[in-house]
Amino acid sequence: MIGTELTEPELIQRAAEGDSDAFGTLVQPHLALFHNGIHRILGNVADSQDALQDALMSIHRDLPRFEGRSRFSSWGYKVCLNAALMLRRSRVRVHDMERSVPLALGAFDERGHHLEPEHLPEWQVEAQAHAEVEQQELRACLNRALAELPDSHRIVFVLKDLEDWDTDAIARHLQLAPGTVRQRLHRSRVQVQARLRTHVLGGRV
Amino acid sequence: MSFLPSCHEVQTELTEYAEGALPFSRRLGIGLHLLLCRVCAGFLRGLRALPGVAKRSLRPPAEAPESAAQVLASVQAAIQKGAQRRV
Repeated sequence: MIGTELTEPELIQRAAEGDSDAFGTLVQPHLALFHNGIHRILGNVADSQDALQDALMSIHRDLPRFEGRSRFSSWGYKVCLNAALMLRRSRVRVHDMERSVPLALGAFDERGHHLEPEHLPEWQVEAQAHAEVEQQELRACLNRALAELPDSHRIVFVLKDLEDWDTDAIARHLQLAPGTVRQRLHRSRVQVQARLRTHVLGGRV
Repeated sequence: MSFLPSCHEVQTELTEYAEGALPFSRRLGIGLHLLLCRVCAGFLRGLRALPGVAKRSLRPPAEAPESAAQVLASVQAAIQKGAQRRV
């Protein structure tokens, strides 16, 4: 049985030697982080479980090579994101509604200018979402918005706006042109913003 | 395509604008439009605010879901099995 007094490097060493309790003690504090990162990318429970299993096995296998240059949680998180991306690549995506996601919000006249601009709500989520219940509503709304995005778009939004990857890295990883990445990112942001305006601000889109 | 783009054109190209991926003349036109149009300027503020709002709101929960705990338990069992086999 592993006591809580062991340091992280000691836990890593024991886990690498095959001590399953040490592995559990090492991973448990970061499990929510790891699972959350994977679930954002894959968006469903079954795939997330498969990717988490692959990731934890990889983490255990590669522990002897972990040199402690970064924090274990950061290193493990990267392994998890890679596992999610690998699994995502292996799945055949049937539904991709790229063309149904708008690039802009609101009604426009024939010259492309806003109709009824006074009815478009200003962006005030930060100011309006301080109360706990509003935070929960915002979180639920964002999760719904992410779930509604086509897979090809959600992955770009997650990597760019939640994981802070740069556009070129996303393009390389997903084998897309940078312009395609930016367009998908833009469509995703517009769609998510539309959901927030509708559900949180009660505005029209 | 005129020098001063329409609201629809501006909104459509705002992510490319924000990333500096547009030609200079287009950037200039959009920049000018944003100075003149409070709705499109608000839209750009929204796009810029979104990553921060999303990151803060979608922070991982304090505890992993039960399904994740089950996965960890199954991996621990596999590690233990492997260790016993080596003994």
